[in-house]
Amino acid sequence: MKRLQQQTLLGIRDQFGSYAWDDAEISELVDPQLGIITSFQELLDELELLRKIDLGSIPPAADISVK
Amino acid sequence: MSAPLAFAPIGELAGRLRSGELSAADLVQCYADRIATLNATSKAFISLDLDRAIATAKSQVISPEDNPLKAIPYACKDLFDVKGLVTSGGSRVLADNIAAHDADVVTRMNQAGAIFIGKNNLHEFAYGATGENALYGTTPNPYDQTRLAGGSSSGSAAALGYGLCAAALGTDTGGSVRAPAALCGLAGFKPTFGRISTEGVIPYSWSLDHVGTMARSAADTALLFNVLADNVRDSAVIKLDELSIGIPEGFFFARADTEILDSIDRLMNFFRDAGARLKPVAMPSMEHSRTVSLTVQMPEALSYHNRYLDQRGDLYSQDFRAGLALGQCLLAEQYIRAKRFIESYRRDMDEVFDGIDLLLTPATPVIAPKIGAVEVTVDGQSEPAGNAITRYTSFFNMTGHPAITLPCGMHSEGLPIAAQLIGKHYGDEQLIAAATLIESSYDFKLPLPGF
Repeated sequence: MKRLQQQTLLGIRDQFGSYAWDDAEISELVDPQLGIITSFQELLDELELLRKIDLGSIPPAADISVK
Repeated sequence: MSAPLAFAPIGELAGRLRSGELSAADLVQCYADRIATLNATSKAFISLDLDRAIATAKSQVISPEDNPLKAIPYACKDLFDVKGLVTSGGSRVLADNIAAHDADVVTRMNQAGAIFIGKNNLHEFAYGATGENALYGTTPNPYDQTRLAGGSSSGSAAALGYGLCAAALGTDTGGSVRAPAALCGLAGFKPTFGRISTEGVIPYSWSLDHVGTMARSAADTALLFNVLADNVRDSAVIKLDELSIGIPEGFFFARADTEILDSIDRLMNFFRDAGARLKPVAMPSMEHSRTVSLTVQMPEALSYHNRYLDQRGDLYSQDFRAGLALGQCLLAEQYIRAKRFIESYRRDMDEVFDGIDLLLTPATPVIAPKIGAVEVTVDGQSEPAGNAITRYTSFFNMTGHPAITLPCGMHSEGLPIAAQLIGKHYGDEQLIAAATLIESSYDFKLPLPGF
């Protein structure tokens, strides 16, 4: 998996019907400077590991009505 | 000797109210006076409803048949709707959001005769375990004001910790009731997922949110649970020498403060001496559990907050916006996969509980961090303070098992240490009964904070 690029997230923002996040906020996800989000790339790397784990036919957790 | 009135447990207050030794109005006034003195320090309350509370108290007639919560002053995190009052979520975004109805749990408390006194501070929209809030201030720990009360139900913990109410309601998505309760020397409880209604409570993550309680004891927790949940079974008689208690290996005892581990060791020795069976249990792999939780949390939070973003997006704090932006950039299959892992965790945990009654862990791996600390370091490894605070609690939001944290020691730095007990699905009554028995049997008494 290639490293995340800012252009990818700008594309999601502009072409996927997303809220209009500031460029700086998108940049922060890709190249953290402020320490608010420190690990989006690490999260994606872990998600790639999870993708490779075979969960068989286990369904998504069903939610219970809480009303 | 009775604890000072402001720190008395509900059970004691109920007895004094019934006997006529104490009036409901005097009790509310006691807390009102302390709030006037200590709220600026504790930052526990965002808003107050004391005039109505005092009027309600003056009108109450208490009889022996009444629910023990009658005339008991309580507070709730400012995510809960109370009709006619602002539900701010601890944010400028909802500064004008006046609730049209009471949250289900507020209705239940009021029907039992409990007296609502105000809304508690929190980490904005429950996003974070440190309880830091730029708008309403960061709640300091009642045992050391240079340290965090913890969050996200920070004000609820502070309200009890500073002796400003007798009970509080919070929400727990990764430990946001249990962890601050643990750091402040309180009993913090989250039920089996779905057993207490979340209707009328601003959501953070529907898949993980639980409404929970904070109180001074497990015994008080039972009184609250009886009111807040449906179909509460009479507590079975619990005997320590018949309990089988699972001790999870690895994750839950790793990278923890040694004094916390020593306190849990002493608790385990108490169980052994009392005849309980302690059984090592192998838990599901926790390696990716925080990733799984985050991958569910942030898209769900974004999905709720999208209703406000276009018009009021600039009113959110920078850190919450960053989290929501992250939620925007995850793929649908990643979210679904995370929910499949949650189902896998649930199934694995149900198997773990096949051979045990309860699970015992430390509540937190660290004592309350210093206010402003970005990271904490244990065993030479650093991690964000918020992650550390909820490291041992968040897994059970995914599995949905009921869990309670209880004080079990004092750290040499003068801060409470707590244990966490986890019960079987829908075993809330047994869990609380066991915790009540432990707190009445275990030779440990938490000193009161100096207020």
